[in-house]
Amino acid sequence: MSYTKRDKILMKVQKPTRYTGGELNSVVKDAALVDCRFGFCFPDVYEIAMSHLGMKILYHSLNEREDTYCERVFAPWVDMEEEMRSRGMRLFALETGDEVVNFDILGFSLSYELAYSNVINMLDLAGIPILAKDRDESYPIICAGGLCAYNAEPIAEVFDFLMLGEGEESINLITDEYIKWKKSGKKSKKEYLKTIARLEGIYVPSFYDVEYNEDNTVKSITLTEPEAKPVIHKCIMKDFDKAYTPDKVIVPFGEVVHDRVMLEVFRGCIRGCRFCEAGYAYRPVRERKPETLVDLADKLLSSSGYDEISLSSLSTSDYSQLKELTDGLLELTEQKKIGLSLPSLRIDNFSLELMKKVQKVRKSGITFAPEAGTQRLRDVINKNITEENILNSTKMLFRGGWTNVKLYFMIGLPTETDEDIQGIADLSQKVLEEYFAIPKEERAKNINITTSTSSFIPKPFTPFQWAKQDSREEIVRKQDMLKAAIKSRKIKYNWHDNRASYLEGVFARGDRRLLPAVLTAVKNGCRFDSWDEQFRFDKWMQAFEECGIDPDWYLRERSYDEVLPWDHIDIGVTKAFFMRENEKAKRAETTQNCRQGCSGCGITSFGAGVCFE
Amino acid sequence: MSNYVLKYTRDERVKYISHLDFIRTFHRTVRRAGLLMSFSQGFNPHPVMTIAMPLSVGVTSSCEYIKIGFEGDYSEQEIADRLNEAFPKGFKITAVKRTEGKEHDFAKLDRAVYVVEAECGDASAFDAEKFLQNSELLVMKKSKSGVKEADIRPYIYDFSAKCTADNKLILTMCLAAGNTYNLKPDSVIDAMEKYTDGFSVEFFCVHREKILAGTEELI
Repeated sequence: MSYTKRDKILMKVQKPTRYTGGELNSVVKDAALVDCRFGFCFPDVYEIAMSHLGMKILYHSLNEREDTYCERVFAPWVDMEEEMRSRGMRLFALETGDEVVNFDILGFSLSYELAYSNVINMLDLAGIPILAKDRDESYPIICAGGLCAYNAEPIAEVFDFLMLGEGEESINLITDEYIKWKKSGKKSKKEYLKTIARLEGIYVPSFYDVEYNEDNTVKSITLTEPEAKPVIHKCIMKDFDKAYTPDKVIVPFGEVVHDRVMLEVFRGCIRGCRFCEAGYAYRPVRERKPETLVDLADKLLSSSGYDEISLSSLSTSDYSQLKELTDGLLELTEQKKIGLSLPSLRIDNFSLELMKKVQKVRKSGITFAPEAGTQRLRDVINKNITEENILNSTKMLFRGGWTNVKLYFMIGLPTETDEDIQGIADLSQKVLEEYFAIPKEERAKNINITTSTSSFIPKPFTPFQWAKQDSREEIVRKQDMLKAAIKSRKIKYNWHDNRASYLEGVFARGDRRLLPAVLTAVKNGCRFDSWDEQFRFDKWMQAFEECGIDPDWYLRERSYDEVLPWDHIDIGVTKAFFMRENEKAKRAETTQNCRQGCSGCGITSFGAGVCFE
Repeated sequence: MSNYVLKYTRDERVKYISHLDFIRTFHRTVRRAGLLMSFSQGFNPHPVMTIAMPLSVGVTSSCEYIKIGFEGDYSEQEIADRLNEAFPKGFKITAVKRTEGKEHDFAKLDRAVYVVEAECGDASAFDAEKFLQNSELLVMKKSKSGVKEADIRPYIYDFSAKCTADNKLILTMCLAAGNTYNLKPDSVIDAMEKYTDGFSVEFFCVHREKILAGTEELI
């Protein structure tokens, strides 16, 4: 028995297993024997980070390589950070406990804008200069990927490069090139960046110079190196059925958010909801075969010991072979006493039967996302769900014994009027009436409807990327209006903090000139902004003011001829398509989904997936 | 269904796992090992399993007990081998015994032996003999009805202290443990500080050496 300096810290903090590593299936290697030490950095606390599917895939993919050791690096919670800073302890990796400042490459996953402050804070805690230009060859290469990497301009200058699109292949390619560069004596970082800038999906921010007009809009984005591409295209795994996926996952000791086997059924979405960046960015839809998935599920369950499995995709019901898949999975889960959860399922006879099979006793809550209160506005956002669909589905649910229904809406959508807000209250009320229309003896007791609204945030690479975001005052007015419009006590109304949405909106369509404000806010103590209890909106506003930035400006409507800060990035769906969609939205015209027919978004250029089914 | 008592150890690598997290970890280990657990009947079936004494966070142990029911008829060696194969590093099954009825009753377990390594302000200031001469040792102790002062002296069955060269104390103590009365080494440390002038403990770590029924080990 003996203890270390780390024990003295761990005895003082909450949930110490966030920091100890050593979980089942975590990878143990001799760090001295590899060429590349890679830190997979997730800028949030352990429980969130360990729920991230992309991390699991890339971690195990890199560790398949003998020449590389990939370790996990997460943001320490505030209590741990305080202990670390007071003792001069620097950011470390979970597997070896080694300081990441000595690693070769650190790759951040950028999933949401409100984690930007954590990225900066983690680098600071690691003892690594924040900006790429301040780091010489002795520091790790810092890169990032994930959905927000498509427009990470507000913090782009932090990174040596960004990886756009799906990383399974490109993370291996940049590692290959890194090892070559390292073995040749690591002469100049720029040489390495020039080499990888030629690869598909690699964006080196320092090779692009941004100039601005007098009205603050972007004037031009110009290349500073011949190796840089004028437009950077994202990467995808064309044959998704055969794409690498681990057959074992790390099993955390403490409970994490998604504490179960996650089975990635398909990538992309056929729907084309006009507010949804993920729906466009992950196009085209590519599926795994049911037999591949059942086999994978079996392996993942055996290697983890989990007693629950969940399907993962943007819209489970759109999987073309759902019946084959669930039949195969049910056979497995019944035999092993495993729970099967089926998120984002549309309610119909088939899915209701399925739900009865998978949850024999407990009836969990069912969530609907009508997103808007009136049919007109649902047509504007191309959310192809009608009031009749929703009421029929809830009727079926109530008859089936369910009594917990959640309804998700957005407020602040383009073209929204007060009538649309009233529509949210009306639709919630109609759902409630469906329940009361069923004779007492045929329905379960204690009806519980939760209506939630988030605030619409225009995102890049969507038809609404030019739209105005509602001001905080307007959002609050609409929230108050809705509070008053909901009369029944059986309906509970939840709303999202307007300040967090505001900040997210600033970053989502932000440009490089926001960087000083981010640095200032972090210096003044901002981090974990997506955590209500940590979020310090006042400090953010103070940082904007100190840096002479008017954040309201980033919420304004853009014109089609404005150069957008992300115009040099190509996700495969064309700007022309987004313009067409935006015009159709204004006329409340819907667009068919990818299986009904092609609407010419441009993604066929990848030569894969649903476009060629 | 057959019931088994398992004895296992838990080392530095897994000492920060809380009691509830350990239960979840153990269930997963059993499933990975491919052993079929018996489940309770009722609305929310759960594995039939009892842990003798929860271990506090940060404490290592060379003697923990679990009782568990399996549907299959496994040999004792097979259970040990398969669990050891499936456990995260840091746990090890050291003995397995098939059991029936009231044999190996966890309720009989009434004491535990701990070894505590304590970093002290001045280790030599502490005198074990003098400490034990106190007829009562009153410390604030957590109980079901809240924190209150209690005399822990009757529940210290054995106690010795050794001073090391680097100003640490190695304490070995046998304390009441289990459902009737549970005394944690932490309370003994509190008493040592309170009843010894000029003595303080900066940091300590605990290892559970044994859980006993009287003087007997369970298996």
